[in-house]
Order: sequence, then structure tokens, then C-alpha cells
Amino acid sequence: MSDIKIKSKNLNVYYGNKQALFDVNLDLNEKEVTALIGPSGCGKSTFIRCINRMNDVIDICKVTGNIEIDGIEINSKELDVVSLRERVGMVFQKPNPFPKSIYDNISYGPKIHGKGESKNELDEIVENSLRKAALWEEVKDRLNEPGTGLSGGQQQRLCIARAISVNPEVILMDEPCSALDPIATAKIEELIDELKKTYTIVIVTHSMAQAVRVSQKTGFFHLGKLIEVGKTEKIFKNPDNKMTQDYITGRFG
Amino acid sequence: MWLKELLKNIEKNMTKEKRLKKRHNAEKRFRFYGLASIFLALLFVLILVQNIFSKGSSAFMKTAINVEVFYDPELLGVKNGATKDEILEADFFDITIETLLKTFPTNNLDEENQLIDLFTTDAELEIKNALINNSNLLGKTVSLEITSSDDIDQLHKGNYPRDLPEERRRISNFQLSIYDNFLENKKIIKNFNNYFFKNGDSRDPEIAGIGGALVGSFYSILICLLLSFPIAVLASIYLEEFAPKNKITDFIEININNLAAVPSIVYGLLALQILLATIQLPRSTPLVAGITLALMTLPRIIIPCRASLKAVPPSIREGALAVGASKFQSVFHHVVPLALPGTLSGTIIGLAQALGETAPLILIGMVAFVVDIPSTPIDPSSSLPVQVYLWSESAERGFVEKTSATIMMLLSFLIVMNFLAVYLRQKFEKRWN
Ligand SMILES: Nc1ncnc2c1ncn2[C@@H]1O[C@H](COP(=O)(O)OP(=O)(O)O)[C@@H](O)[C@H]1O
Ligand SMILES: [Mg+2]
Repeated sequence: MSDIKIKSKNLNVYYGNKQALFDVNLDLNEKEVTALIGPSGCGKSTFIRCINRMNDVIDICKVTGNIEIDGIEINSKELDVVSLRERVGMVFQKPNPFPKSIYDNISYGPKIHGKGESKNELDEIVENSLRKAALWEEVKDRLNEPGTGLSGGQQQRLCIARAISVNPEVILMDEPCSALDPIATAKIEELIDELKKTYTIVIVTHSMAQAVRVSQKTGFFHLGKLIEVGKTEKIFKNPDNKMTQDYITGRFG
Repeated sequence: MWLKELLKNIEKNMTKEKRLKKRHNAEKRFRFYGLASIFLALLFVLILVQNIFSKGSSAFMKTAINVEVFYDPELLGVKNGATKDEILEADFFDITIETLLKTFPTNNLDEENQLIDLFTTDAELEIKNALINNSNLLGKTVSLEITSSDDIDQLHKGNYPRDLPEERRRISNFQLSIYDNFLENKKIIKNFNNYFFKNGDSRDPEIAGIGGALVGSFYSILICLLLSFPIAVLASIYLEEFAPKNKITDFIEININNLAAVPSIVYGLLALQILLATIQLPRSTPLVAGITLALMTLPRIIIPCRASLKAVPPSIREGALAVGASKFQSVFHHVVPLALPGTLSGTIIGLAQALGETAPLILIGMVAFVVDIPSTPIDPSSSLPVQVYLWSESAERGFVEKTSATIMMLLSFLIVMNFLAVYLRQKFEKRWN
């Protein structure tokens, strides 16, 4: 049993009057992949966006309850969101590279955090990040070309490299493969397997098969409630809850 | 009721082919209407341009009369080999009269006056300038091209009917005969009308130009740009990216749209009240014009500027935030640069509108008759659209072509600005896609 990295306690989220999450208690283990599954609109994205406080951006969104990372409350006012997001990186559903060169895409994060003072250091960070994202070999000769010119799968790996570039502890992935073809998806899954040695990963996915392939722990959400959470193997072989059973066998969702 | 039923039946009975044919016909008709409207619109534009061009193009040439000048030092009252300063001091009146009278010898005083009237009122200046430019001419006889009077200019360009009875003509029979004589001796020429670009306004059409209006418009637009661009951009960024979405910002948003629709003359009245009456800024000046136009242009820049900020996909903002950029950094590092081309083109279009604005400038006194070309923004001045207005009101025939020529200048500025706006936007869009 690995250590708990992230702990949510009685997490409630509201969009205006509408409650999107109800008392979510979920522990995420360090250097492990946790998959979140559930039908559309059940609050998976809402949950992972709480972990890097991305919901702050949405005016009408209100969060109550606690989320602790390494035992430290992140919803407190004193905590600086910027340094939180430096520790908790995020990859989005649709690849969103900046309309800048591949190099600038990766070096942006380190630059604003004052990492990589010299050009050499930056070059190194860029290369390492791209290598970790398994993209280096494909783009090393065209680092100055626009990141938006890459294929969808490459763009998503570029976004993963961008997230890695600031050396986070946690990487959140919100359906990272939903816009990709099967081959690109396979590459990303392989990559996730590699990345979990270094990072704590939370991945939202619509594909049961993907959850089975990449994750060690799975949480099932339904209508804003965490219905069941446990070892991936157990959730998919013999879930305790009838609803989980129905969902993974494709009876709804 | 029965009609509906009938239509339904017809619809039902229509075979598939018929329906297809009907659809194709509808499409064809629609295409025809579209093409017809485009054709009509183009036709109107062509008529407009043709009209302005045919009237205005002659203003770029002026008629001049070849004369022989003897720069007689005695008559000028200077020594042979006089310096430039001495020449500047000299009185050129006598030499001018003598030169002009020599072109068509006559003894009658009245006829002499009529002869002199064939030349521009600035003939003395032209003769003087020629010597100042080249002081070697002193003591020599040279041939000079002296600009003709407006009446001769118009006559020569064929804009003046010579078959009217004499008492209804501005040109007498005697003057006509001199003109014909000059024409026969090939003394009448047409040359480029540099006065049109370099001179300020004048009561005499042949020496009137848009120089003052150009400079006035330039200063006004410059001040308008310097005031409105930074304010509009900062206001847009704040409203779009930082301001909370609540009743107050909604109210501001609605009123920005309202302000953009306020007739420009209202801004003129406002400026009259506040800038001229209360703050007592100098009237008729580009400074006041620039401030007035800036007030008017502000909402017109804010709207496209906000639109281009809004057009930057939220995913870019999220991407920046997710790597730990602050809100401020995500806006200024990513969103603003992406919105810049749209902002710039919106600004240029706003300025183009300001450049053509007439009503508020009339209210702040820019209709004043200003001969001097303004050297600073606080000198009284005219502006291009107001110059059009002023000249279109003038009785002299010579101002008709000048009005159209000024419109041509104004339109070319507007076209260039609009092209620039389109170019900026397109160039950027191409860059990453
Ligand atoms: N920005 C938002 N404003 C209002 N409601 C939202 C917003 N984002 C999500 N929601 C609502 O919250 C619920 C959960 O959404 P989400 O977390 O995106 O679900 P999932 O990612 O599981 O599909 C949905 O009912 C959705 O309509
Ligand atoms: Mg989602």
C-alpha cells in the first residue's frame, strides 16, 4: 500500500445554485494512476479541477470541504494558486498547445517560474520534458516550428511535456485520449505507464478498457456522488455496488 | 383552411423529380438574386467613383502661362550680385507688373488690369521665389511659368462656357482674345499642381490647397490614436478578462454599445461645452479635434478589441494557468498577443471613421477659414472632410474640381487604412494554421 498523496474530505462543489459534487471523499495514492469513470456530467472533470483549483476561474463555482496534498489544505486562502499549479499539472481533453513554437510551448512554464536561468538550462529542460513525453525523437529537428502544426496525438504529448516541464508532483488528465485515434491513444497509455514511476496521476476516462489498462485504482462517479472506489481489478471484476456493475457492463452511461 | 389542404395535396402529388426540380429552381433563383445585388452594389460604387474621378482628376494639373522675366537689378533696387537676404528684402511689385504687361502690349489702363487678372494673385511671389531659388538669374532674362488665374484655368480645362454673352461671363471678350493669342503662341501649358498639396486654403482657387487640411487631419488623427488606443485596449482587457461579471459591468457593456451608436455631432456638442467653453482650449485646433474624435472613437475600438479578446479560445487561458501562470501572465503573455491583430485592425477602422468625421469638427470651429498650415496641434487648422464641406459651399468654379480631388484623397487614405486592417488580420491568421 502506497502513501496517500491527495485526500479529499466532504468535497462539495456548486455551480451557482446547482450542486455538481456531493460529499466526495476520495484518497489518491502517490505514484499511482487513479482512473475516474462515470457517465457524462457526473462531475469527474469538476472533481479533478478542484485538485489544481482550476475552478477558481469560473465565477459561479463555489467549493466547500477539504482537499489536502501531502497533508496540506489547498483550499485555504493563504495558499498561492500559482505555486499549487506548479505542483499539480494538468492535461486537457482537447490538446491546447500555445500557438507558439514547440520550444516555446515547453519553455514557457519554467521561464515564468524562474527555472532555467540560462539558455543551456532551458534547452535541457525542454529536451528532458520532451523525452519524458516520448516526443523528443519526433520533434527534435523542428523545435522552432509551431506546436499547433503537430498531429493530434503529438499535440497531446506536447501538452504532457508542457505539464512535465515545471516538474510537478501530480498530473491531472481530463480525458486526454478522447480526441485521439487508437494508435495515438496507445502511445499515450504507454507514456502514462512510464510517468507513474515519477508522478501521481489522475486520469478521467470514458473508456473502461483504458481504465483497466492504465490505472491501479478506480473511482466511479454518478450524479455528483462518488459511488464506489477501490483497486481497479476489484472494481471491474466484482464491484460492491449494483450501479457500478451496471455501468461497467454498459447497461447505462 | 381549404387552401392549406390543397397545398398539402399538391405537395403529396408532386413526384420526387418535380420536387428536385423545384429545389434546383429555388437555388438558381437565389443565386441570381445574390449576383444581381452584388452587381447593383458594384454599379453604384462605380458611378460614385467615376463621378468623383471625372470631376476631380483635373485638379491635379494647373494651367500656367509662359512669360519672360528680366530680373532687372535697378527695378528691384538691389546691386548686381546681391545676396539672398537682400533679394528677400527687395520689392517685386514693379517687376511683376512689367513682366505681365509685356506679354500683351496695350495702352489702355483698363485693358492692362484685365491682362493682369489673367494671372494668379500670387504671380509676384512666384517671380520672387524663382530668383530666391537661383540668385544667378539676377540681371538675366529667363522664361518662367506663371500660374494662371482660376478663370483661365477653368477655361483651359474646358469647364468654362465661352459662348455665354459677355456680361454673364467672368472673362471679358478682351481677355478671351488674349487667351486665344497665348494659346496660338503655345504660351499656355499645363503642369503638375503642387499647390494643391502644399498650400493652405485660399480665396483664390488656383492657389488653394489641402496642405493645411492634411496636416490638420494628421495631427487630429494622431492625437485621437494616442488617446483612444491605450485607453480602449486597457478598458477592453480589464472588462473582458478581469472585471467580475455583475450588474455594473453589464451596465457598462450596454452603455459602451450605446455610445458607439451616438451620432457624432453629439460629441461635437459635448466638446463645444466642455473643451471649448469650460476648459477653454483653443478653438479650431487639431488638439480639440483629436480629443473629440478620441471620445467618439473609444467605444468603436473597445467593441472590436473585446471581440478579438473573446475570440481567443479559453483553452489557451487554461493551458497557461495549468502550468502555473498567474491570471495576469496568462492574459498578457498569451491572450493579448493573440488578440492584437484583431485589436489593431479594429483600431485602424475606428481611426478611418474618425478621419472622415465632419460634423463634430464643424461644431468645434474647424470650419474657420485658415490660410496658414498649422505647425503645431494648437494652431487653428482645417481637416480633410471639413475642407470638402467648405469648398463644396464655395461659389467659384475652381473649387468644384478641388472638392472632388479632396474627396479622392480622403477616399484613398480610407482605402489604404482598410486594406492595412484586413492585411494585419489575415497575415496573423495564416501564421499558425
Ligand atoms: N462552468 C460550468 N457552469 C455551470 N455548470 C457546469 C460547469 N461545468 C460543469 N457544470 C455542470 O456540472 C456537472 C458536472 O460536470 P463535469 O464535471 O464537466 O462532468 P463530467 O466531466 O463528468 O462529464 C454537469 O451537470 C455540468 O452541467
Ligand atoms: Mg468532463
